[in-house]
Amino acid sequence: MTPTHEIPSHPTITFTVNGEACSFIMGDGSHELPPSYTLAQTLRERLGLTGTKISCDHGACGCCTVLMDGKAVLSCMLLTVECEGKEITTIEGLGNPVTGAIDPLQQAFIDNTAFQCGFCTPGIIMSAKALLNENPSPTVEDVKEALAGNFCRCISHYHVLDAVIATVKKGGE
Amino acid sequence: MKPFAHTSAGSVEEAVQLLAKYEGKAKLNAGGTDLLGVLKDRVLPDYPEAIINIKTIPGLNTIEECEEGISIGALTTLVDIITSPLIEKYCPLLKEAAVTVAFPQIRNIATIGGNLCQDTRCWYYRYPDKIGGMIDCFRKGGKRCPAVSGENQYHALMGAKQCFAVCPSDTAIALTALGATFTAVGAESIRTLPVNEFYTPLGNVLTPGEMITAIYIPKPSPVAGQKFLKFTLRKPIDFAIVSVASIITLDQGICTGARIVLGAVAHTPVRVLKAEEFLKGKELSEEIVAEAAEFALAKAKPLSKNAYKLEIAKTLVKRAVRGDSS
Repeated sequence: MTPTHEIPSHPTITFTVNGEACSFIMGDGSHELPPSYTLAQTLRERLGLTGTKISCDHGACGCCTVLMDGKAVLSCMLLTVECEGKEITTIEGLGNPVTGAIDPLQQAFIDNTAFQCGFCTPGIIMSAKALLNENPSPTVEDVKEALAGNFCRCISHYHVLDAVIATVKKGGE
Repeated sequence: MKPFAHTSAGSVEEAVQLLAKYEGKAKLNAGGTDLLGVLKDRVLPDYPEAIINIKTIPGLNTIEECEEGISIGALTTLVDIITSPLIEKYCPLLKEAAVTVAFPQIRNIATIGGNLCQDTRCWYYRYPDKIGGMIDCFRKGGKRCPAVSGENQYHALMGAKQCFAVCPSDTAIALTALGATFTAVGAESIRTLPVNEFYTPLGNVLTPGEMITAIYIPKPSPVAGQKFLKFTLRKPIDFAIVSVASIITLDQGICTGARIVLGAVAHTPVRVLKAEEFLKGKELSEEIVAEAAEFALAKAKPLSKNAYKLEIAKTLVKRAVRGDSS
């Protein structure tokens, strides 16, 4: 393979966010996206999708969790420039875009009062969503393991477990 | 993060040529879950000029069986290792170690090559520049290790002279017990070394122009019992305080083979040959196992605040040798 190191590998980058294609020109100019931008920064500052939160910004708290090709990932630990061709889903992408109805999982969080301040909630919901996509009938232990990387300082964890399990039960009906 | 140039490599050849071109001023990025933290906190005096994405190199994320062993591409994610039937069948020890690494979002992205190459978590070394400036230390080219007379509760128990940071990798401990080797490729070199020779007191054996491409695990005896145990306080976010990997072969209750490796007690995985030798030919009674644990930690020289790790290590050795699950 011929080395291509004189040319930046992705002068433009394209990926999908919540079903819509997004393109950025990489660079340090005012209309360009610096290569040092994390996916979390890009989602919030360039796309206005502020549902994804940045809390620790060090891959420890789970607040910035989004789905990448269906898997839960930390958007603060991914460089946007390395997301070429990926399908990203954020909390804004859940629910029905036509009717505006929220996702049953989100409704379960409301019904079970599964948050207090709510800052960590989008990350928790995205982690839970990744689990339910992969395993529609998880056990309580599966849910705990899937949410092990999501921290909540309001101690809403117990209600979160109730909410996720309620969604599982409803899905089975 | 401070700006850097960014390139994606399409092949190993291209990646190592780029490394050579930047003359040590570029870093490879695989999962990025370790590197991005180092860059964000500016913990090192030298900031890379360029980041080279290697996730774009095809063919480095497969787990394959050959006649004598298992070959794992360096870009294989931890989740792929955990869910691999081949790993489950031949080296459950590696699966047990990979499961203990962080939490799902990290394991979905982090790679086995990156897990080996991650930088130490010593809190003096990792101290963020923006909170009062980076802390100079021996590992960064300074004159002293602040841990020696400071907060050293998570530091080395043995083998340290100048830097007391410990090896943060869990998979390295498991791979050492399994007798695994890794292949490192440079612009004009290719070499294969045992995983237990990967770490040096201040880093690892890779030259600035090399990258790990694959890990090879010889098939262990199918009758040997494998175990990985890790002690932490907060499972998803803490690195090992102590970990132990063991492979024990029993023949009618008598130990015929033992490999015991300690993690997070030194800059490298520590294979405790004396304890292994001691166990061979013996029945694994409570007393014998306890004595082996004493042998395993005989060389330990605790610092002012980490003697408790000694007791944890002995307990983990006993549990691992007996095959207890926790």
